[in-house]
Amino acid sequence: MTTETHLQRAGEILAPFVKSTNNPESNRLDVQIAASDLPAAATALTDASWGYLAAITGMDLGVESNELEALYHFCEGAAVTTLRIHLPREGCPEIPSVSDKIPVASFFERELSEMLGITVVGTPDPSRLFLPDDWPPDVYPLRQGFKPEQAAALESAKAPEPDRAGNRFIVPIGPQHPALKEPGHFEFTVDGEIITAARMRLGYVHRGIEKATEQRNWIQNLYLLERICGICSHTHTSAYSQGVEKLAQVEVPQRALAIRELVAGLERIHSHLLWLGVVAHEAGFDTLFMYSWRDRETVMNLLEELTGNRVNYSICSLGGVKYDIGVEQSASIHKALDYLEERIRYYLDIVTTDTAFLQRTRGVGTMTYDEAIHFGALGPTARSSGVTRDVRLDAPYGAYKRFPVSIITDDRGDLEARFVVRMKELLVTCFTIRTIVDNLPSGEIATKFPRKIPAGETVSRVEAPRGEAFYYIKSAGGESPVRLHIRTPSLCNWTSVINKAVGHQLADAPMLIAGMDPCFSCNDRMVTVRKNNVSNTLTWSELREYGIKKYGQRK
Amino acid sequence: MKIGSMFNDILTSFFSAPVTENYPFEKPETADRFRGKLFFDPSKCTGCNLCSKDCPAKALEIVILDRTAKRFVARYNVDRCIYCAQCVQSCKFKCLGMSKDDWELAALNKELFAVNYGKEEDIAALLERFALPKTEPVEKV
Amino acid sequence: MTPITALLSIMFFPAGITLILSGMLYEWADRKLVARFQNRIGPRWYQPLADTLKLLTKEEIKPHGINSLLFYGLPIVALTGALTAALYSPILGLRPVSSFPGDLIVTLYLLSLLTMCMGLAGWNGSSRFSLIGATRSLTQLFAYEAPFLLALLGPAIVAGTWVIKDISAYAETHWMIFTQPVGFFIALIGLMGKLELPPFDAPEAETEIVAGALTEYSGRGLALFHIGKSVELVVAVSLVTAFYLGGIGNPLLFLFKTLVMVLLMAMLQSMLTRLRIDQTVGMWWRFGALLALFQILILVLLKGWLA
Repeated sequence: MTTETHLQRAGEILAPFVKSTNNPESNRLDVQIAASDLPAAATALTDASWGYLAAITGMDLGVESNELEALYHFCEGAAVTTLRIHLPREGCPEIPSVSDKIPVASFFERELSEMLGITVVGTPDPSRLFLPDDWPPDVYPLRQGFKPEQAAALESAKAPEPDRAGNRFIVPIGPQHPALKEPGHFEFTVDGEIITAARMRLGYVHRGIEKATEQRNWIQNLYLLERICGICSHTHTSAYSQGVEKLAQVEVPQRALAIRELVAGLERIHSHLLWLGVVAHEAGFDTLFMYSWRDRETVMNLLEELTGNRVNYSICSLGGVKYDIGVEQSASIHKALDYLEERIRYYLDIVTTDTAFLQRTRGVGTMTYDEAIHFGALGPTARSSGVTRDVRLDAPYGAYKRFPVSIITDDRGDLEARFVVRMKELLVTCFTIRTIVDNLPSGEIATKFPRKIPAGETVSRVEAPRGEAFYYIKSAGGESPVRLHIRTPSLCNWTSVINKAVGHQLADAPMLIAGMDPCFSCNDRMVTVRKNNVSNTLTWSELREYGIKKYGQRK
Repeated sequence: MKIGSMFNDILTSFFSAPVTENYPFEKPETADRFRGKLFFDPSKCTGCNLCSKDCPAKALEIVILDRTAKRFVARYNVDRCIYCAQCVQSCKFKCLGMSKDDWELAALNKELFAVNYGKEEDIAALLERFALPKTEPVEKV
Repeated sequence: MTPITALLSIMFFPAGITLILSGMLYEWADRKLVARFQNRIGPRWYQPLADTLKLLTKEEIKPHGINSLLFYGLPIVALTGALTAALYSPILGLRPVSSFPGDLIVTLYLLSLLTMCMGLAGWNGSSRFSLIGATRSLTQLFAYEAPFLLALLGPAIVAGTWVIKDISAYAETHWMIFTQPVGFFIALIGLMGKLELPPFDAPEAETEIVAGALTEYSGRGLALFHIGKSVELVVAVSLVTAFYLGGIGNPLLFLFKTLVMVLLMAMLQSMLTRLRIDQTVGMWWRFGALLALFQILILVLLKGWLA
């Protein structure tokens, strides 16, 4: 089925709810619907198995139009259908929830409500996702009149009390824990060693990047977005450049696109080797950790040779790439890949045959095909349950039409399957990189690019090592974007972890969390000091003063 | 059923040298394209300031002492720079570059981080302006 | 042995200070070997000493609302147990400082005292992690203790005595690693369980429960537990070496033999993933105990038949 047929089918499914339609780009269908029709429309799409909910973007259309807009993006192959709902800016804008049918929507709805002040009626968990609990209640960062001074922390805020009813033994993993490479909070209720309930809280590394992009020009944003993540940095810049290039209607030379794909492949190798080491460390297999990170150095040195930096390569520029691949670099790439392929085959062998390791991974965290679809899993986590969901296959972008990759899936759905899928993906990636290096299209590596991008909006989807990264970019013809919405893949994979953790042993919990390859991306928080069962929530400045006072007294 | 699948690796490593680099006793080789500290050639500059407009970190500023006489001084903040090389990209006249060898930039003193690039007399003239006592109005450039 | 010489040998040589220093030496050897297996450099020779001294100078923070006596007393009791156990074992290839009939059992009990103190310390702690660590520690104690004891009993049965000194003397002429290979194997693996080395380090799994039973400890208490663990390493390795690898003869040769044991343990440490606690217990009670019993049975039958 082609993109046009997909869009046609979507149009037919949504016909009873449509207020108006629009095709802003060849692969997109925009459908205006009323807020009350939203659950029915979403259910209609899900029941007809039309795609999956990729993201929910909220926008403030400005004081003049006095409206907020919520966009629900559904993706099927390369086709994107967006349900647009207009809501009044004043008062208490409300929208019904879709998370009973689509569980992953609950994360998106929490983000929508805390960032824009839209009340989502019927959402299972109305607590804040990214913003701290002492954030003042009526201040919404993504609204247009927001000033940073408004975000002064509330004096009297209290953290939500964890449910202490009954004889429950809760083990907190995070925010400070050796298992986590980045802070996040997981509360596992255990009975002996078996987990009986799980809860999570994100927001520890939130930096307000979406808002920050509105104050920087298009070129500066490249570098801001690159630093969202260290190991998917190239994905973010590619997605952004791709989107902006589509808006500016600039055609990027083929050679540049091929180089982008090559660096993306190298980044994938880097990311998966890093992940292999991290999960091995969580399992207690430090030797595999040391060796896979030793081999990761090869990739990083290669990337340094190609781009000038080991992480945060900054090779994408608007209109192409910055550095070319010459004969010398091609030779280095081949040499490095020879070494890496041999090691990756070795690691694949280890994770599938080492008895001690298999005892920790075989049969753990099994997620069936239906569960993967229901929980909205993405990336290798979904592919290891048999779901063939990969943007490089569904909606080939950049040079992927010219240099396609084969998709690896595995039917078992347990942790071992996730290892196998990622290692095999690396072998495919090595093959693709070699093909690109040997067949680089000739030509320029960059074209001229305007400083002001014409007005419009676009959706850009790219396959990060963790899954699909979804970018929604809106321009009003100026030097900065008006709205940039980023939905990173890890946000969609959390639901699967939380639901799968129940019933497993506590020792499996870090492996499960690490097994979905999380890339935490969110805010700074405060500390709860418990004394004699009276809990006292301190803000950052209070904690600092408390520390200074306490240690000052000890002189 | 295989126990100890990494045995070969272990045995090989035991009899060979560790891969750990002996930094800081041995400085590693960096690639040619490595992005270290910025350097600036004032002779080619035209003062278009595209580099400072595009800098994501506000680390670079081209102070125009005299546009016709081509007296430019680049004020570069080593600590603010994120080493992205966008300025190198933006400059149409190839005045800027990033050093391959000068990347050990940690310092205990913040004053060392504000670097001025340009001809000696231009830098002296600029510093003179900044050193004026506070009661006198600072001349606008 | 006069009281003076007894006191000197308990405090300085070979027990006491020398023992603690040799504990640090063995710990260093273990860490260095594991590092070399992982293609790294590893710590310098004075690292464990530096670690201990640093810990002794740090502030000891006692969590609120727990039993002070247990908190401060347990590290001392644990270290005492380990140091006392050393008095009856052939550490550093020298004859045990003292001995009495049945001291094999007492030594093993004193070594377990260390683990039990850690378990109690974990139960006493106020955080979730120390409680889980303590539970795992004690569960593991029940798992490996019986097979390990049986593995050490093998040489005792063959030598016909319960006194460590005499078993070592008997072992000098009979290398029991060849006559009781299964027993040696169980003893080696049991040693790793006793010392909570990977793959049996579930009680102090860093990525799951921070530091297990010792999570709340810092400063002096942690230093004492740490020293206790390294002393336990010396004593236990010395015992197994003395029984299976030809007793005490030449001290230098003995040192070499113990270091070979440490090498074997380091190799096993690097090659295996950490086992979950249920897998540890399952493995020990299914394979470990049965193999050990099988070995003992054979020994008993052979002894009866040969006698």
